[in-house]
Amino acid sequence: MRLLARISAGLILWAFGFSLLYALQGTGCAYGWEDASLFGTTMLRWILVATWLLLVAACLTLLRLTRAASSDFERRVTLATVLAGAGTMLITGSPVALTSACA
Amino acid sequence: MNALRRHRILNTIWGAPKGWRGTVVSVNHSDIGKRFVIAAFGFFAIGGVLAMLIRAQLATPGSAFVGPDIYNQLFTMHGSIMMFLFAIPMFEGLALYMLPKMLGSRDMAFPRLSAYGWWCYLFGGTILIASMVFGVAPDGGWFMYTPLSSKAYTPGINADVWLLGITFVEISAISAAIEITVSVLKLRAPGMRLDRMPLFAWYLLITALMMIVAFPPLILGSILLEVERAFDWPFFDPARGGSPLLWQHLFWLFGHPEVYIIFLPAAGVISTVLPVLARTRMLGYGWIVAALLSLAFLSFGLWVHHMFTTGIPHMALGFFSAASALVALPTAVQVFAWIGTLWNGRPELKLPMLYLLGFFVVFVIGGMTGVMLAMVPFDLQAHDTHFVVAHLHYVLIGGFVFPMLAGAYYWLPHFTGRTRDELLGKTTFWLIFVGFNVTFFMMHLTGLLGMRRRVHIYPEEAGWTLLNLVSSVGSFVMAFGFALFAIDVALHVHYARRRRRNPWTAGTLEWAMPVPTPAYNIASLPTVISREPLADAPALASALSRGEGHLGEPRRGWRETMAVDTTTGAIDHIVVLPGNTHLPIVTAAATGCFFLCLLAGRYWLSLLPVAGVVVLGLRWAWLLDWRRDIGPLPIGRGEVAPIHREAAGAPGWWGSVFLLVADGTALASLLFGYAFLWVIAPNWPPPERIEGGLAAGLVAAAAGSAGTLLARRCLADGAAGLMEAASRMAVAAAAAQLVTILALMALGVTAQPVPQAHAYAACSWALLAYALLHATIAMLCMGFGRARIAAGHVSPRRTLDLRVARLFSDYSTATLAIVLVCLLAPSVMS
Repeated sequence: MRLLARISAGLILWAFGFSLLYALQGTGCAYGWEDASLFGTTMLRWILVATWLLLVAACLTLLRLTRAASSDFERRVTLATVLAGAGTMLITGSPVALTSACA
Repeated sequence: MNALRRHRILNTIWGAPKGWRGTVVSVNHSDIGKRFVIAAFGFFAIGGVLAMLIRAQLATPGSAFVGPDIYNQLFTMHGSIMMFLFAIPMFEGLALYMLPKMLGSRDMAFPRLSAYGWWCYLFGGTILIASMVFGVAPDGGWFMYTPLSSKAYTPGINADVWLLGITFVEISAISAAIEITVSVLKLRAPGMRLDRMPLFAWYLLITALMMIVAFPPLILGSILLEVERAFDWPFFDPARGGSPLLWQHLFWLFGHPEVYIIFLPAAGVISTVLPVLARTRMLGYGWIVAALLSLAFLSFGLWVHHMFTTGIPHMALGFFSAASALVALPTAVQVFAWIGTLWNGRPELKLPMLYLLGFFVVFVIGGMTGVMLAMVPFDLQAHDTHFVVAHLHYVLIGGFVFPMLAGAYYWLPHFTGRTRDELLGKTTFWLIFVGFNVTFFMMHLTGLLGMRRRVHIYPEEAGWTLLNLVSSVGSFVMAFGFALFAIDVALHVHYARRRRRNPWTAGTLEWAMPVPTPAYNIASLPTVISREPLADAPALASALSRGEGHLGEPRRGWRETMAVDTTTGAIDHIVVLPGNTHLPIVTAAATGCFFLCLLAGRYWLSLLPVAGVVVLGLRWAWLLDWRRDIGPLPIGRGEVAPIHREAAGAPGWWGSVFLLVADGTALASLLFGYAFLWVIAPNWPPPERIEGGLAAGLVAAAAGSAGTLLARRCLADGAAGLMEAASRMAVAAAAAQLVTILALMALGVTAQPVPQAHAYAACSWALLAYALLHATIAMLCMGFGRARIAAGHVSPRRTLDLRVARLFSDYSTATLAIVLVCLLAPSVMS
């Protein structure tokens, strides 16, 4: 089961991060975080962008799991899924910097 | 023991009686798998006839063939049948039949659960089909959007038939998912590491895990909508704090992964059949596994693309649009792996390959239109038009039906032991391929010209007449193709010549057994050292028949197979499987009575079949009868292993774990709904919130925690051989759960507003009901554990019953804590 957990780790983190960003966006819009200005933009925008960048960095740190792999198969699959998770986090989270949050 | 004598003894142990009695009591995976496949094809035929009626209606403008009421039932039932009664059960049937054979096992992990799932599917499907005969079939579209499906707009039982019938059928899907997951993880041939499994097993493992997580949101949504319709709890009523969008979220949380749940097993068929017919090995095994995992996860991040036109903010659109486009990448990895394999090999244009080529054409077109629809501006134009109908048929028929037809022709010799010429099959292919493209390519055009889906008539001046007529003609050509396929299979079964066991010279283990396969699959279990054991050792089949593998000597009339370590494939223990029994059909009948009582509005009466199901469930578990320690037993080749009752990672424990994962997903979906309504829905905050209840909540929390601690202590005492103490702890744990139940009931009655008042109150009561149900289950588990101790089924070696009881107790307490926080937080914080 550990093998399954390790080869899924990057994608599990993406699923968590994607849900977190979606939840933060919905909650922030509902509770008026978009109306609070902070350093030239809104508080909601800062929260979302910071969370997104942290999530991308967290996804990349999982690359060290490849060092713990016990076989070539595990190493290759872990590498591919961690990179997939990080890349997907980068792209699916990018609307936090590019689009309007609550409109 | 010679091979013939071994065959006779094993056949006696694993076989079922002849005639109706055998049909009713058999739990054998080959029998159940074949029944699923045949029934699914029968439902496919019914769904196909409905499609013909739809196309007859749309062939000409202003058609008076059927009126809108009947037409609504036609398209709703067509979609529901094809998704729930054909696609999922068809792959379940193939998985049940084929998996143990490919994994070098003698059966699935829970044969009685397979049979129970089969009967639930048959009874549930029959209810749905019968509703058409009585003119009360569902008519709100296969995704049953509220408020159309709410009581105000669908006052009859049409929507109830869908909600209850589909939920009944989904029991079989959850059963199969747990069955497949545990079987792949544990019931493999010795030596078959995870990275030595056939790719087909990887596809099915990932599909089954997806089902465990994807189906609970739909089941939960169906329960909530049924409760709203029956008792007026306003989960989806915006006037009282509900939201129709909650239904869409819950439905598509299931509905989009469902597309991949249907596609992945078919892709597994491709990855199995294609390299054999290309006379090479599959390229990129590890990359394909990584692509599968990526696809599985990403498929859960797309559901909102079905809701792009509901007015959600741009940022949320961006999240889901990006994920929808990205999902094409892991799919492309697989497609390129298949193309590379073809390039690398020496392909033979035999009949299954013809269907695979058809798959490539159709599926790639469907994938491309999917990427188009993932783009929000395009989707805003094409949403709910025939363009979407064309896209989904290209994906589903291209991605499922064509590969399954390839699989059907590839494995028919395995089912029947016969092989015949391919002429009729090739004619079938061309009729289906041409008919399909003529039918559905036209729909892209009618959709782009503005034709909405689900309209029963259209005006002549719209300019869609010729395209629709061509589309209808194409659909009838396709129908002839499927009819010819049925005739071809019938001819094959009855008149084809008997042939050798491995006509394709394939390397996977399903071809290492006699065809058609005996009830026990293989006389002895191989030791696997590569991904294609038969390719590496062509004489393997004969050696296994001679009993030179594991478990070659039948003993005590037991149905034995091997369980292995999940990752390494090292021998773990012997699994002794239960034999033929009436319990699955009787339990499914009791379950069906429950659903029928609800359908008839006899809610109090429905408690009777519920009690019946509980009693039958306890009987089910009780019959696993082990009153003495056995110790390690010889398994052949000089090795020994314990039986599963005396091993740590028995299939029953793992099955319980995955059942609780599904259960936890249902709770997570309910919590999502609660939070979604709180944040998004109109008419919040609620006029009336929970008042007090803190004391009752604290009593419930304390009693639940005590119940868990006592359950753990019970297990520790049982493992230490202190049976008297374990027995007392089991009684105390059950009593603690009873206190939890009473405290929760007091909390609800004294502090919560009535559930009809507002969606907040309805959600609170739903959470409370969830916690109550699980405290009751934990209490029953501990009571059962006490009875098992008293009857001598538990010893320091045999603690499986207590470990499972502890698992349910732990889960109950963990979810109780979550529910109490959600219920009491508004009161404490205000």
